[in-house]
Amino acid sequence: MEYAIRTENLVKKYGKDFAALDGVSLRIEKGQVVGYVGPNGAGKTTTIKILTGLIKPSSGHAYVNGIDVTANARKALRTIGALIEVPGVYDYLTPHEMLTYFGKVYRMSSAEIDHRIKETLELVRLSDWEHKKMGTFSTGMLRRLTIAKALLHRPDNLILDEPVLGLDPEGIRDVRELIRQFRSEGMTVFLSSHLLGEVAEVCNTVIFLNKGKVISSDSMEGIGRSLELGVVNVKFLKSLSREEIEKLRAIELVRSVDVNDRTARLHYDGKPESSVQILRRLVSSNFEVVSYNVESAGLEDYYVSVMSDEKGAN
Amino acid sequence: MEIRRESIWNDVFETYLSVNFELVKHLKRRRLPIVAALAVIVPLIFYVKVPDTADVFAATVLSFVNILIVVSAAMFAGDAVCGEFEKKTSLLLFPTPQRRSTIFAGKYIAALLATFLVVLLYYLTMTLQTAQLYGWGEIPAELGKSFLTALIYSAAAVSVVYFFSALLKRSITSTIVGFLFLMMILQVVAMVLMLVHQEPWFIVTYSANLITDVLGVLSSLPFGPGEEEHAWVLMFSPDFGVGIAVMVAYAIVGFVTGMAMGIRRED
Repeated sequence: MEYAIRTENLVKKYGKDFAALDGVSLRIEKGQVVGYVGPNGAGKTTTIKILTGLIKPSSGHAYVNGIDVTANARKALRTIGALIEVPGVYDYLTPHEMLTYFGKVYRMSSAEIDHRIKETLELVRLSDWEHKKMGTFSTGMLRRLTIAKALLHRPDNLILDEPVLGLDPEGIRDVRELIRQFRSEGMTVFLSSHLLGEVAEVCNTVIFLNKGKVISSDSMEGIGRSLELGVVNVKFLKSLSREEIEKLRAIELVRSVDVNDRTARLHYDGKPESSVQILRRLVSSNFEVVSYNVESAGLEDYYVSVMSDEKGAN
Repeated sequence: MEIRRESIWNDVFETYLSVNFELVKHLKRRRLPIVAALAVIVPLIFYVKVPDTADVFAATVLSFVNILIVVSAAMFAGDAVCGEFEKKTSLLLFPTPQRRSTIFAGKYIAALLATFLVVLLYYLTMTLQTAQLYGWGEIPAELGKSFLTALIYSAAAVSVVYFFSALLKRSITSTIVGFLFLMMILQVVAMVLMLVHQEPWFIVTYSANLITDVLGVLSSLPFGPGEEEHAWVLMFSPDFGVGIAVMVAYAIVGFVTGMAMGIRRED
């Protein structure tokens, strides 16, 4: 199987003792939106810089669409659009001038360059600024412009390193919407971030990195399942009578019940099938159920548990 | 063989793109128009006192071309390498399908072309002035040789500043260090060597005296009151062959080491 992005035992050492990456192996399938999560200094940007040919690994290999980035950077980078950290722009140029240059670098024809400049600037809502000097742009506009640059040549893979860093809420929402759009278009997106909310909203797989090593990797569904706490919160139309509480306790899959006025927390084994069975029993027993929610922890809790497991292991 | 040919073609095309982009940047930052304007305005100052012969006029005007070359080199090559890293535009420029060597070669060539253009404008203005003051027939026969020497010195000066641009982190530092290195440090070293009766043949700024020396008028003019006390300055005059070789050596070494450092740089 050819992966969109694959790394084999990537190691990046600075000096003799410090390893920014210590044997990172990744497999990212085409069309996935993958969150690359970890604390500051975990090695996220180092991985991305290797994938985009900015730095060379001390050992190991990085492949994009099966092409070795170190051995054949020119070919590999043709299929990548990248936004790394907070890049600078040429203040004295206009978006049109800058993007025209990059269009030529990607061997696009003049007509195609003009067409794509208009298309990508429209996508990032900068059409009115095509011929204005970039020195006058706000941080959010510059970030959107650099995303436009990353998309100019219609790449198969988009690599985004902390794309919402330093943006205001509106800017964050814009970038999030763009990523959702790329996801629906089937583009592979590799998103490095330490903002878990952003990752939870747009990604379908998450890779956790710490101290240069991958410590966990799972789909959002898998993470969601493991985050279910084995508790359902049920809200009833009326306060429960003593008899009704006893009926709840009698449901065979329910281990214990905490009741507070019109709400009840039912403890069970955490399996989705069991949750369905409990709901069926409630309905068949004529309980007037207003809402039924499986309680789960957030990605933050998962992150904390993964990181604390790592600390414990060390 | 086919793959190799394609690779060479790619390198040439990418270098061409980089040269174009750099020249556009020099224009947009108004560096090229400003230095080009200096190249036209400075020779006009010499109308203040017009010498008797065309040779002396040409030599006097050309004695300032060295300064203009150094200013040009500092302006166009000062941020060639470190500028991309300092302003983080490297994060836009490098993750693209072009080799760093072609990007940096393009930057060097663009700085060189811009400096050549400035030198050309200076010589053109001076030639027109000479023709206007003394007639076309009086234009020094060795002017072409002087022009070519100035171009070779331009390459050396651009390479020196380019080297500092790859060595240092900040554009302003590399621009100033490059400028001072050529305008002061090498000049002082040359003078000290001459004081102890050693010819500073390996100092590129000393070789640059050839630009006016080829006209038959010595440019190593003493400064300060009274020429007699400073006669030691006139003791040496660069040999043409050695001087050209030194300039070419500076040009090659500065460019190659600057390129190598730029390609390896990781920040």
